[in-house]
Amino acid sequence: MGKQRLCTISFLLYVLSTTADAASEAPRPRGVGPEFAKFYKDTEAFTCISNPTIKLDIARLNDDYCDCPDGSDEPGTSACSHISPLSFLAVPRTHATQYNETLALPGYYCKNKGHIPSYIPFTNINDGVCDYDQCCDGSDEYEGVGGVKCEDRCSKIGKEWRKKDEARQKSLGAANKKRRELITQAARLKKEVEDRIKTLQTQLQAQEQKVAALEQSLAAVERAEKGKVIKGAGKGGKLTVLASLAKDRIQELVDNVQRVREERDIAKSRIEELEEILRRFKEEYNPNFNDEGVKRAVKAWEDYAAQERPGPDSAKDRDLDEILKPDSESAIKWDEYEGGEESDVDVLYKFEEYLPDSLRQWVDAKLRDLRVLMIENGILADPNTDAPESKTVTDARSQLDSARNELDNDKREITQHQEDLEKDYGPDDVFRALKDRCVEKDSGEYTYEFCWLSKTTQKSKKGGGHTGMGNFARIEKITVDEDLPADGKGLGSGERWVLKYENGQHCWNGPNRSTQIILACYETDEIWKIVEEEKCVYRMEVGTPAVCESRFGSAKKDGSPEHNEL
Amino acid sequence: MITRKDSSRSSWMAYFFLLAAWCCLFSPAVMVKHENFKKCDQSGFCKRNRAFADTAAATSSWTSPYALDPSTVKFKDGTLSAVVLKTVGDGEKVKLPLTVTLLESGVARVTLDEEKRQKGDIELRKDSKARKERYNEAGKWALVGGLETSKGAALSEKVEKGYTKVFYGVGGKHEAVIQHSPFGIEFKRDGETHVKFNERGLLNLEHWRAKKEPPPVEEKKEGEEEKQEEETKEPEPQGEDESTWWDESFGGATDSKPRGPEAVALDITFPGYEHVFGIPEHATRLSLKSTRGGDGAYSEPYRLYNADVFEYEMDSPMTLYGAIPFMQAHRKGSTVGVFWLNAAETWVDVIKSKTSANPLSLGTKSHTDTQTHWISESGLLDVFVLLGPTPQAMTKQYGELTGFTAMPQSFAIAYHQCRWNYVTDEDVKDVDRKFDKFKIPYDVIWLDIEYTQEKKYFTWDPLTFVNPTKMGKQLDKTDRKLVVIIDPHIKNTDNYPVVDELKKKELAVKNKDGNIYEGWCWPGSSHWIDCFNPKAIDWWKSLFKYDAFKGTLANTFIWNDMNEPSVFNGPETTMPKDNLHHDNWEHRDVHNVNGMTFHNATYQALLTRDSKGKELRRPFILTRSFYSGSQRSAAMWTGDNLAEWSHLEASIPMLLNQGISGFPFSGADVGGFFGNPSKDLLTRWYQAGIFYPFFRGHAHIDTRRREPYIPGAPYTEIITQALRLRYQLLPAWYTAFHEAHTTGAPIIRPNYYVHPEDEAGFAIDDQLYIGSYGLLAKPITKEGATSVDIYLADDQPYFDYFDYTLYQGAGKTHTVQAPLEKIPLLMQGGNIIPRRDRPRRSSGLMKFDPFTLVVVLGKDGNAEGTLYIDDGETFDYQVGAFIHRKFAFSGARSILTSTNLFADKLTVKAENYLKSMAKVRVEKVIVVNAPKAWKSNKEVNVSEEGAKESARKRGVGLEFFEGGRGKADWAVVRDPKVGVGKGWKIDFN
Repeated sequence: MGKQRLCTISFLLYVLSTTADAASEAPRPRGVGPEFAKFYKDTEAFTCISNPTIKLDIARLNDDYCDCPDGSDEPGTSACSHISPLSFLAVPRTHATQYNETLALPGYYCKNKGHIPSYIPFTNINDGVCDYDQCCDGSDEYEGVGGVKCEDRCSKIGKEWRKKDEARQKSLGAANKKRRELITQAARLKKEVEDRIKTLQTQLQAQEQKVAALEQSLAAVERAEKGKVIKGAGKGGKLTVLASLAKDRIQELVDNVQRVREERDIAKSRIEELEEILRRFKEEYNPNFNDEGVKRAVKAWEDYAAQERPGPDSAKDRDLDEILKPDSESAIKWDEYEGGEESDVDVLYKFEEYLPDSLRQWVDAKLRDLRVLMIENGILADPNTDAPESKTVTDARSQLDSARNELDNDKREITQHQEDLEKDYGPDDVFRALKDRCVEKDSGEYTYEFCWLSKTTQKSKKGGGHTGMGNFARIEKITVDEDLPADGKGLGSGERWVLKYENGQHCWNGPNRSTQIILACYETDEIWKIVEEEKCVYRMEVGTPAVCESRFGSAKKDGSPEHNEL
Repeated sequence: MITRKDSSRSSWMAYFFLLAAWCCLFSPAVMVKHENFKKCDQSGFCKRNRAFADTAAATSSWTSPYALDPSTVKFKDGTLSAVVLKTVGDGEKVKLPLTVTLLESGVARVTLDEEKRQKGDIELRKDSKARKERYNEAGKWALVGGLETSKGAALSEKVEKGYTKVFYGVGGKHEAVIQHSPFGIEFKRDGETHVKFNERGLLNLEHWRAKKEPPPVEEKKEGEEEKQEEETKEPEPQGEDESTWWDESFGGATDSKPRGPEAVALDITFPGYEHVFGIPEHATRLSLKSTRGGDGAYSEPYRLYNADVFEYEMDSPMTLYGAIPFMQAHRKGSTVGVFWLNAAETWVDVIKSKTSANPLSLGTKSHTDTQTHWISESGLLDVFVLLGPTPQAMTKQYGELTGFTAMPQSFAIAYHQCRWNYVTDEDVKDVDRKFDKFKIPYDVIWLDIEYTQEKKYFTWDPLTFVNPTKMGKQLDKTDRKLVVIIDPHIKNTDNYPVVDELKKKELAVKNKDGNIYEGWCWPGSSHWIDCFNPKAIDWWKSLFKYDAFKGTLANTFIWNDMNEPSVFNGPETTMPKDNLHHDNWEHRDVHNVNGMTFHNATYQALLTRDSKGKELRRPFILTRSFYSGSQRSAAMWTGDNLAEWSHLEASIPMLLNQGISGFPFSGADVGGFFGNPSKDLLTRWYQAGIFYPFFRGHAHIDTRRREPYIPGAPYTEIITQALRLRYQLLPAWYTAFHEAHTTGAPIIRPNYYVHPEDEAGFAIDDQLYIGSYGLLAKPITKEGATSVDIYLADDQPYFDYFDYTLYQGAGKTHTVQAPLEKIPLLMQGGNIIPRRDRPRRSSGLMKFDPFTLVVVLGKDGNAEGTLYIDDGETFDYQVGAFIHRKFAFSGARSILTSTNLFADKLTVKAENYLKSMAKVRVEKVIVVNAPKAWKSNKEVNVSEEGAKESARKRGVGLEFFEGGRGKADWAVVRDPKVGVGKGWKIDFN
């Protein structure tokens, strides 16, 4: 509600500045702005602005008693200040919709001669406080209640304001210039990315061809290799060699399992001891202490304790015992496998020995072809897969692999760059120029850091680690309605760009930290204000030239001027 | 088969245990830690006295071993003295000096001491430095008046043998009848007994006796261990159970008890009374439940032992932060009470004993007696008996003894915005601006412990509160205030001049060995200032001087928390009972007044902080711990509640109980301290909070922000409406405070207090009346409720505050619709309510606003109400600088008049004040339930005293409105322009 009204005020101010001269002829009742003068021309009677059925004697105008349901008979007093959805009705309605009960006026009009006229809420009239921020001429306290005297300070305040405004305009000029530079830079960076994509695309084509060629040569080499049945000479039966190797290996493994198991048992009992300590710690600590460290530890313990973990499985432990016994039933009888056996390859040769020589040649050739055929069609397993590959194949494959890798890398890079081009870098792509640059500010016991489009951090001055307050997630826009101080370091009102940072470090008893960065136009990158709006939800107000023109751009669109509080 | 069954059961059991273990792991985090606090049978003296009561009840021939020696009776100037003899084993008699003081106010005081201890004729164990007497200074802290003895009191000549009788009170209507053997007293009013002492024979004053130490064991030589077994052998129990006499351990801490057992206990019966109220602070109903088990009853006695109870539970007799040992019994036609003046740990058992009607004897109606049993660990037996006869007389008599509520500054009854913590001075300024931006009124912003530099009080964190003066000045611009917390624990650290001085000047509490006591609180290792020491108070005053506590301004006020005292590593989160205070009183003797001595010291400090001796302003202090008398210098709140509906609900009976117990400036944290309230709960809590005498929103450091502007539409708007309603009614609230300040009447009142004859409403504690204005509110405390049933005790018409809907009918409930945006608030016919309708940023900015009078005509066509205003900050009201008017509308004459309630001659200050208020007028008179006959009237005649002849009689516009179905008609007088401080008359004829 209040927001709406303020918007109206700023709109009216705009109108005002253009029509002020025209309206200055007739004396208006106290508190009436020039744009409402037409309602107050009658010298005999007054008609409530939004409720024209109610006509009052002119004596009831500004007599400090509220007659009109819309408050229009009291433009210069606080008598109608209770007309608001924020107040209960002072007197009940007789008919719910009989009257328009919205305040007809935006507030009390302060002429502020020597400065900019403005409206001040009726609740502030004659309350004993000189509200110079809005009413520099002091006319809001004409009754002097409680002895208050508010002298006219407009010439001084106006002068200061103009001085600051001039500086601000100047700074604004500089800011705009900087922004243009940033945009140029951003465009250049964008161009670089586009160029890189082009280069990569050319490279990609060549690379694809290379890969295709290498694939072919590898296939040829492999085909030649597959014909060979025997690779490398083996002395004695392969099984025997394997058995002796396996025996050594298994013994080694058993020894290691034994050692690991002992270590595990020690670790287990230590964990139990630690868990007991923590359990007691959790029960006995005093939650009244607001010791962050303790709280964090307790929370972490609670989380840990809440996790479901399978208990120790005694059956599995028994299995393990069994495995480790050297002479158990499940143990392998190595002797049975050692020595005396013929190798598998020998058996094959022996089969061929029974054939006549010519036939043997023929059979041999046919058999080889058949094998290759079957292997290539996936009917027969490739014997080479579980045997060392020949060097030629290995070389060919590694060449192909590295070519493929390069191809993938190029593809990935292209995708990355293409995604980057599609990514939102704000108005005119301007944030591209700032990416990963950081700004810092001291605030209380911390230094806060915000890095464009990457992360926000809180660094304690009292020592201790840095706390991540969020990682960049997206760009948004919000509508704000804040004061704009004379030095220009404030959000003002209207639409503003916002950078959202999420998923920072987890908060004890709270969410993951997150930061909202609201940007407003300023000459340099500067953090103005950091507020913890809610537990671990931060808000930074940041000035930057990056959003300067867009601010005016969007403001101009909806027709309202830059917001001036002063 | 069997094995399978077994295994399945064992796995089910395993799940059960797992679940149980899981529950154990998590539930304690949201519940009070019972194991941290004693139950009666863990507190030796309570256990002993409860056992004593059980023995007495179980013994048909039970005779109390106490008898008054008639030869010792003396009576002089309203004071009766005598010796009561306690027979102990072997026919030995212990002398107990008795004093019965009859006071001019009609109150009787009974004091029983112990001669041996009084004379110091005892020996303390373990070289203790503690005092030998029973603690006799509780009255020094609690009592401020009402102690003039009765001139008319007289010993009765005609009296049965074995009795002594004294007449006292106005017209000698009160009697104290003392039975000699066994000793007992009955207190009568108009010949009827209302209070009985020792009827059940539970009087017990544990006399001093030497400990029979076991024969000293020969010094052990090294390696000689076989003797250990002998040592641990318990001596055979003989006679009384001495196990809790000499040393007591709880939660790993051992109390050395150098004086041995020394409890005092007494049974007090209220014959014919079914309801007893009082003895705060407990999270329980207004009408106290019985405590000896059974359906809906507690099994533990009400405990009074000020303690920092973390996340306290609802509906429990467990102790909380403060203690007021004042109980009143109420029945149709009579209210009486007892005030048990003892500062030690105290337990109170309550039993309701029903006597059914005897059909054989005519005139014996069934009735309920309330029997109570009071048990304190040490000190004197010192009891005041108040014979009423009305609830109003009760609060007045109690107030005359312990003092009335201080007249607060006007800002103190407006809205307070608190949070643990506003983190920087900029944060404070920002919240301040936000309230204005959202047009929400507030008066005070608070700083919890984090503003200090490393929890060192009287310092500001230089990194976060860079410029407190500038912050204070911004607040002052709109007449707003700052409250900062100062606790009694002083950080034990280097480079902290405050602790250096505390140590050097020896102003801290000492341990049992007489060395400075060290414990843990917020700052870690800390010492505690001992405000029982007058020198400590002087020193404390010096710390608050504007030039000592830099950054504080005239609009800075103080919050005293943790003054039970809270000691994180102490037994039951407080100090060891054998600690020593000033004059070597043991902490056990003074525990419950400790908190009060601290906030009293702060009160004195605020009075003297301006070294230039400029104009004095009334201090504002909020305390968590309290005792009888705390009302004279502080406001209280119900401590660390939870953001749960049940806590919102409990706040109403708790505050009503505070009101009738003489400490009405009370509140509960709006929104709930721990946890995050839902938006509905927050909204409803604000709608209830506007009816708390002390109205503060507060939140724990781990919660999300929840200032009224945070929740957004429609909640923010609804909360703002509630806040503005509080501000609109501030004139009524301030007048109610003035009434409390001058008569002891509660600010918010339970049904029985307003309608003492309406039996059906005695236990009602979920609705309240504001002051004497007939404003009846019933806050919504149930989630999702959209209507509420309000009980009306009388047959006056009641009107909805906002739309004048009529509700009428005595002794029944009436349903009032209450969607979220609606506050159930009725106006009782017959009252005139003063308001200020113009919303401002703070109450200070309303000082010169005009008034609206709402005249609610009763069934006889009449109405009246009062208005009290003063400058709201100085003590000038004490010399007559105030306006106190009575407004009355006579139905017969159709005239509304304003008459002065202050008849004294005007002082200069008074005249100046009236001059400053000369232009403040009544801008509107709304007559609700206006007679139909006024329909054709267009004008009323207004005349004002002191006005010029020509203006003596003026015609002023009157507008009549028809309410229509179910609603009252009303009429509005348009701007009578009469001065609020002047005499005037509005003639409606």
